[in-house]
Amino acid sequence: MPETAPLFLDFAELAQRLAETRSTRSKIALCAGYLSGLQSDADLDRAVRFLGEGAFSRLSGKRAAVGHRTIAVSAARHLDIDYEQVFRPSRIATGSASEAIEKLLENLESGRRKRREGAPLSLESVDQRFRLLSGARSREDKEALLQENFCELSPLEVKYFLRILGGGSLRIGFELRSILNAIARAFGASPEQVRYTHMITGSLGKTAVMARNGSLDEASFTLFQPVDFMLATALTDPFGQVEGGTAPAALTDFTGFVAEEKFDGMRCQVHVQCEQVALFSRDLNDVTSSFPEVVQFMSGLNLPATVLDGELCVYLDQTIQPFQSLQKRMGVKKPGKSLLQQHPVLFIAFDLLHHDGHSFFGRSLNQRRGLLEALCKENGIARVDQFTIRDVFHLKDSFTQALANGNEGLILKRTDGLYEFGQRGKSWLKVKQPGGSLDTVILYATAGSGKRGGTYSDFTLGIRVSDDPRYEQDFVPIGKAYGGYTDEELKRLNTAIKPLIRERFGPTLSLEPAIVVEIEFDEIQRNKRTKAGYTLRLPRFRAIRWDKLPGQTDTLAEVERLYREKIGRKRQPGAAFSANSDN
Amino acid sequence: MITIQKQGYGGIVLPAYGIGLDTDQAIVPHVFISHAHADHVPRNRHIPVYATPATAALMKARGFQGEVTETPFYSPVSLPGDVTVTLYPAGHILGSAMTYIQTPEGSVLYTGDYRNPASPCTEGFDCPAKVDYFITEATFSLPIYRWKSHEKLFDRLRTTAIQARERGEVPVFLTYNLGKAQEVMMALAPTGIPVQIHGAGYPLCEIYTRFGMDLGAYTRYNRKSVTEGALITPMSTLDTSMVTSIRKKYLTYCSGWAALESRRAQLNVDQLIPLSDHIDFFELLALCRRLAPRKIYLTHTPNPDVLLHYLRNDGLDAESLDLQGNDDA
Repeated sequence: MPETAPLFLDFAELAQRLAETRSTRSKIALCAGYLSGLQSDADLDRAVRFLGEGAFSRLSGKRAAVGHRTIAVSAARHLDIDYEQVFRPSRIATGSASEAIEKLLENLESGRRKRREGAPLSLESVDQRFRLLSGARSREDKEALLQENFCELSPLEVKYFLRILGGGSLRIGFELRSILNAIARAFGASPEQVRYTHMITGSLGKTAVMARNGSLDEASFTLFQPVDFMLATALTDPFGQVEGGTAPAALTDFTGFVAEEKFDGMRCQVHVQCEQVALFSRDLNDVTSSFPEVVQFMSGLNLPATVLDGELCVYLDQTIQPFQSLQKRMGVKKPGKSLLQQHPVLFIAFDLLHHDGHSFFGRSLNQRRGLLEALCKENGIARVDQFTIRDVFHLKDSFTQALANGNEGLILKRTDGLYEFGQRGKSWLKVKQPGGSLDTVILYATAGSGKRGGTYSDFTLGIRVSDDPRYEQDFVPIGKAYGGYTDEELKRLNTAIKPLIRERFGPTLSLEPAIVVEIEFDEIQRNKRTKAGYTLRLPRFRAIRWDKLPGQTDTLAEVERLYREKIGRKRQPGAAFSANSDN
Repeated sequence: MITIQKQGYGGIVLPAYGIGLDTDQAIVPHVFISHAHADHVPRNRHIPVYATPATAALMKARGFQGEVTETPFYSPVSLPGDVTVTLYPAGHILGSAMTYIQTPEGSVLYTGDYRNPASPCTEGFDCPAKVDYFITEATFSLPIYRWKSHEKLFDRLRTTAIQARERGEVPVFLTYNLGKAQEVMMALAPTGIPVQIHGAGYPLCEIYTRFGMDLGAYTRYNRKSVTEGALITPMSTLDTSMVTSIRKKYLTYCSGWAALESRRAQLNVDQLIPLSDHIDFFELLALCRRLAPRKIYLTHTPNPDVLLHYLRNDGLDAESLDLQGNDDA
């Protein structure tokens, strides 16, 4: 029934209304109203996919493969405007290519003239166009298809078409959690159950259809489909006065907790059934082919359907090697012999999510640990050791021991905690030592959205290279900090940056280097794609140094020194895990 | 060729004729002020200037103390050197004027800030037919800016206010105290909703009504009774108790910059209405084509390059006054 098929235009208008609505509750109500009006399962699947996943479902592994440059050049060509002289400045002023294209299509005579007034396209035919675009091989074919869409879609539709195609956020302040709540609300389902179903199916479309058909109970875990990881929250000031701090320790009563050492590796989810093995990284990418030794080990165990959560580490000479050693293996699809010999990788398990037809997300850590222990012992799988903490002095000693073992610190876990997928909950707590601190200068400020809307809250920090012969500029970016400041400090910062503005790029301001910030970070990583060659992990404000001048900040040479120091740190052969087997 | 120089922050000087346009200092004998916005009024509050009667009244209300020679629209002022200066309505805010200078070397039109089609809360827009040197502001000089008609924008303002009242909320319009505030009031007047205005904007409204603009029923901001109607106040008061103390409210930001989505992330408001008192890219381009002056100078622009590209493609001689700087001074 093509005449009653839901239109893409209605979807685009919904998205625009969501963008223009401030309260999350009203947004959810709006979206729920729209979703409940969709008749067919296929259209419901499309609508939620377009809202939250992009042109293709996350499970399909398909991507549009149409670059920013192709889109921008096609648009400029379609509009008969000069790319450098007209399109680029327009994009810079809006801070968004899709928004610039929308406005230019709307405003320019060339855009209006080429518009074909026909029946608006249905969700289904737009879906079809995404598939066509993803199937196109050459740049010419892609450009031709894009221009076709510029002719047939309204400017508003084009904006959302491009954002869906890009697979990123629609930038309407309506992210996953809200979409799931809207699905629950539209079909009278429990939000908790909708979230759970989404987690184990990994698909918004499937979740929405099941919610409407009242079949959320039937959602079952699918092997070889990654599940969002449970994350830990960092404990601030874990030792308090023990370390000479003034504030009391964050935690003093350790009953109900167990501790594990936190390895300096890469989080990994292992799915295995008999000889079939898949490894997934934190961002749910399939990294199986990078770690053949782990695959070989797992596939030799002849396990029934099993999912383990744990850490990949380079393990050599009875010692866990620093993260930088593992980095040599990350991203290498088919590592060669020498790489495998020099940086052999071991999987150390710390959680069991599924085994032999049963999922354990809803079981307590204690129960999961019991099952994990039995499974690992039977099969000789390495698993992290657990121990209890008596008091904050014992915590400090254990932490020192973990560092001596070459590990990052400790994780405290509530024994009665469930596996809270995709969340940074309070039942896992990190005890980590900051990687260090540096004095940096603010180079860019970006306005936040949502709760922090209207305030510049993200700051790109620069490290000094003014005396560095390798650079021409005075500062290069070294990281981006989103927090660590108080509301008061943020307010003062927002006032202080105003006279420093050099240029605006959409929501981002380029600033005169003037404000000095002492930052703390977890770690320094080598990153050859950045100007500095290094990035800081999790930089956050420790103090704004109003008393310091940009010329007094730390240099890139200091970053390099800290990095070398870290790499060269002595490590004792660790005993934080066991690998023995009963057999 | 007439020498045209940029002087100070925003001013322009024709040294050969002793004429200053929105200049800061009394370095020339004849200073013309285009309109009463702070970035166009001399920071030195004591120099003698020419301005329209409405601009004179607004400037004085905002603290200007110098002597103002009131010059109505279309009333030529003769200056030494066979020069005549005539003011034309600019359509930007009440009293805003374009300065038309006829000299033996040709005519110069300095637009100041202007808008065509004119804001309904002004004396209109009118432009001389022949211009040799056209000095134009170009605040919104990118093709991403094309304004909707005042009719549509005013409708949207009224709908916003009426619907907010129906929901029991106070419609709050965040906008400049001079010009845009009165424009919003004029738009709301037919709804009969009583309007309160920020204290610094209130005396300016009286001048508007004195010059014949219908702003409807309005009073100065009052904390007790603000919940009974609508409030118009500058953006800077958003985080002050003046706005935060209103429990149920609907916030609307009115500005040409509201056309950009990124403003939504920067401002925590319910709605953005792109209501501008500046000319948009397309009207500006059309005016340049119609006037086809010997030379076009762009000023007050964050990005002159795009408009220059279009003008030069049309065979028009154009350059940016901001980049030219004071080199030939």
